[in-house]
Amino acid sequence: MSELALAPLAAAAPAKSRWRVMRAVAAKEWLELWRDRRLVWLCAFIVALMLAALAFGYVENARLLREREAAAKADRELWVGQSAKNPHAAAHFGQYAFKPLSPLALADPGVDAYVGSAVWLEAHRQNETQFRQARDGGVGARLGSLSLAFILQTIAPLIVILMGFASFSGERESGTLKQLLSVGARPRDILAGKALALIGAIFALLAPAFIGAALALLFFVDRERLSLADQFIRLGALGAAYAAYLAGFAFLALGVSALAKNSRAALVALLAFWLANSFLAPRLATDAARAFAPVPTWQAFRAGVAQDKAKTFGHDETHPGFIAFRDAILKKYGVARIEDLPVNFRGLALRQDDESGYAIFDRHFGALQSTFDRQDALRAAPGLLFPLLALRPLSMAFAGVDSRSQFDFATAAEAHRRDIQNEVSDNIIHFAHDNAYVAGPELWRKIAAFSYRAPGAGFALGYSALPIAALIGWLALMVVLAAFAVRRLRPA
Amino acid sequence: MSSAFLAGLRFEARMMRRDGAVWFALIILAGVALFALAMGASRVAAQQAAIDAARADETQRISRLQKTLAQLQEADAQGKPAPEPPPFRDPRNPTFMGGGPAAAVAALAPSPLALVATGQGDLLPPAVRVTTGSKDSFLFADEIDNPANLMSGATDLAFVVVFVYPLVVLAMAFNLLAGEREQGTLAMSLASARRPAAALAGKLAARVAAPIIAMLLAVAAGVWFFAGWERLASPGFAALAVAILLYGLFWAALAAAVDGLGRNSAFNALTLIGAWVAITMVLPAAINSLAAFAHPAPSRIEMVLAARAASTDADKSRDAALARYADEHGGGKPASGGGAHEATLRRLATQEAAFQRVEAIIAEHDAQLARQRDMADRLGYLSPAYLTFQAMADIAGAGETRYRAFLDRIRAFHVDWREFFLSRARAGAALTAQDYAAMPKFTQTDEELMARPPAGLAGPLIGVALPMLILAIFAWRGLRRCGI
Repeated sequence: MSELALAPLAAAAPAKSRWRVMRAVAAKEWLELWRDRRLVWLCAFIVALMLAALAFGYVENARLLREREAAAKADRELWVGQSAKNPHAAAHFGQYAFKPLSPLALADPGVDAYVGSAVWLEAHRQNETQFRQARDGGVGARLGSLSLAFILQTIAPLIVILMGFASFSGERESGTLKQLLSVGARPRDILAGKALALIGAIFALLAPAFIGAALALLFFVDRERLSLADQFIRLGALGAAYAAYLAGFAFLALGVSALAKNSRAALVALLAFWLANSFLAPRLATDAARAFAPVPTWQAFRAGVAQDKAKTFGHDETHPGFIAFRDAILKKYGVARIEDLPVNFRGLALRQDDESGYAIFDRHFGALQSTFDRQDALRAAPGLLFPLLALRPLSMAFAGVDSRSQFDFATAAEAHRRDIQNEVSDNIIHFAHDNAYVAGPELWRKIAAFSYRAPGAGFALGYSALPIAALIGWLALMVVLAAFAVRRLRPA
Repeated sequence: MSSAFLAGLRFEARMMRRDGAVWFALIILAGVALFALAMGASRVAAQQAAIDAARADETQRISRLQKTLAQLQEADAQGKPAPEPPPFRDPRNPTFMGGGPAAAVAALAPSPLALVATGQGDLLPPAVRVTTGSKDSFLFADEIDNPANLMSGATDLAFVVVFVYPLVVLAMAFNLLAGEREQGTLAMSLASARRPAAALAGKLAARVAAPIIAMLLAVAAGVWFFAGWERLASPGFAALAVAILLYGLFWAALAAAVDGLGRNSAFNALTLIGAWVAITMVLPAAINSLAAFAHPAPSRIEMVLAARAASTDADKSRDAALARYADEHGGGKPASGGGAHEATLRRLATQEAAFQRVEAIIAEHDAQLARQRDMADRLGYLSPAYLTFQAMADIAGAGETRYRAFLDRIRAFHVDWREFFLSRARAGAALTAQDYAAMPKFTQTDEELMARPPAGLAGPLIGVALPMLILAIFAWRGLRRCGI
């Protein structure tokens, strides 16, 4: 009997009986999944792997946190323990700002290993963050390390595919699809039942991982420094994103299974897509992003900054800018000689030079970050078709380990550097009477240590519109594909 | 070679020639390999451009300093001394010039087969500016890149070989027996040959030879086109071909061994996908995590803090020495006491203290990292994918071996560089035009020496060959026992 003949019967079926069909189909799918011991063992293995990855993440994060806290304390002691010296010399000695660790890095380490952990805050110069952990990892480390994100992004979709590829094609091959349709079950209800079963399995897969992550957060989050509620909101957003990603794969598997000639063809098509999504698309999108939004080399970037800085006078007392500034100050105070000024001219010159530099650094570092943003947007744009490209930036944003979070930290560190410079210059302006002036520990203590509070989940949400839209689009597209496929469902 | 084997091979080759899907898979594989080599070539060109830019900058800096020096000397000779430049801009000042303005560029030129693998090449800068400062001040400078790009990794041949190539080999070989059994042709195949196992081996050989030959031809064509004919005749290319061949044979042997178990195509497909995920993804990730857990990478921050602590300690001890002198000499300052010379001596003392401490800490860190890498290397024998990836990085000169040689060379050069400038600074001597001509150079010859053919590949290659042979034995037993 064809589905056309069945259609009027099914359309007339009451909602209650349709729900019964869905429930029955879902229960049967669950039973089959449960009876397939290979799949059960595979899922158990993946859950164990996820928990092991969380444990590795927890231990590693705890170690890094201890290390950075100890380093911040030691650096503060070094700063305060400086001998008496000219405050500008102390500004050259500078301070280090250490990037605090985002607690959810235990689930998704994101770009942390590729951005460095400390930035030197020295006079006259904004520095990049130094000491990328990935440099020390060796070549093999580029093949990745175990993390919850790695497993959920690459291995979990494969499990969903293995659970779903034979959903319709397998029933067609064994003849049960014909039976199911002959009793009046609507293809759409069968799809809903099968989707319910697969999504249930996805939740069963995600639940232990996210419960584990939540427990780890309870132990890991320093509640004086961070809001536990914010971390749970972030974790909730991650859970939703991963659920949407895997649910999309479930509908894709169902759709392809309904359309394919047989289970083998369905599996081959789904595996080809999984390979493209997990391995080819991220690399090809990165190559494209690099080509369309090129990043300057370090040499070119620093040359650009130096070119602009050459327009400011620095320590060069013969620079036309210096002479103009000196004349303006003498005029302002109504004196003819620097020695007659009521304040220290060197301090004024330092402050003026620093302020000219701030605008230059803002322009260059801002432009660099804009290029990174353009690259990230280019990479996320095909996320509608290759959902890993949308999920990855979203996951990193809510875990607080993406390049935007890094930029926020770098901006805060730079603001602190400017506070140091301003405080030091002010001290020279008001207290230095000659070039032999030195300040002591009271000034070093007065200048605060760097303190950074990472922004809340709203910050991540604010710049994640594109990946969120792409991920929702992916899920919607897959639902439509599955619905379209079951409309063309052939019983044999 | 037995006639049954050749007959099986010929028959299967004929069948494959007529199968559009086989051609499609082989063309895609070759296309992806060529694309990866093209990306590798553009990456190498960018690296070379970065080195050239660093060298051009070095030449420009030095010639500017030489020009200023000549002007100062000329003004002195004419009896009209020019205004004294600040010490950090004075080309005669060895303390400051060696510490930055005259810094030497030490570059690691891309190796002949650099286009094959990115390795650590995108993380480790190809050129560093060596100064008289401690190593923490110049050795850890990074090239600018979007961290998300670094995390995603590059499309290179190593990626194609390690991840994509085995899938094509598996797709060709996963159901030789199972497929024939399901189609009902196995009985005929077995009956048509006097030595059925040899005939089946011939068929298998045809199936696995196609992707391996396609890959080798694509790599040879790509290397010839993007890097030049002479690269094909190098020992590095021979090592690359052996690595690709062995890795392909490993996956072919695995597929044949699973097929030899006598189960159906679906079982074979799922088992082999599971093996692929385990060998290329899970095992390498687990190896890296275990090695990092057992021997955590030392904190580079510790090195910086030690250098800073050393410089503040040196500062304080210089203060104490001056205070002692003042006490002993009734409040007077030492003869060399004030101003520029004291500043120089203070700078030299802090630099020396930082240098000593940083050297000691870098040695400790290197030892800890070596322990981590040793463990990862040993565990790497669990995954032929891990070994092949590392071998390809070494062949490309983007692995640890070559970079370590580069760092060793920098270590020696740094000592020479410091000695050249600091000996003059300690003696209170000014730099002359002759000094500028005689400054130590990190020469091209050194880089060429480092472009020697890769060594130490025997271990990883044997590590791939051995499991391949064991699996091949299982596969042969499977073919011999094969039932209808």
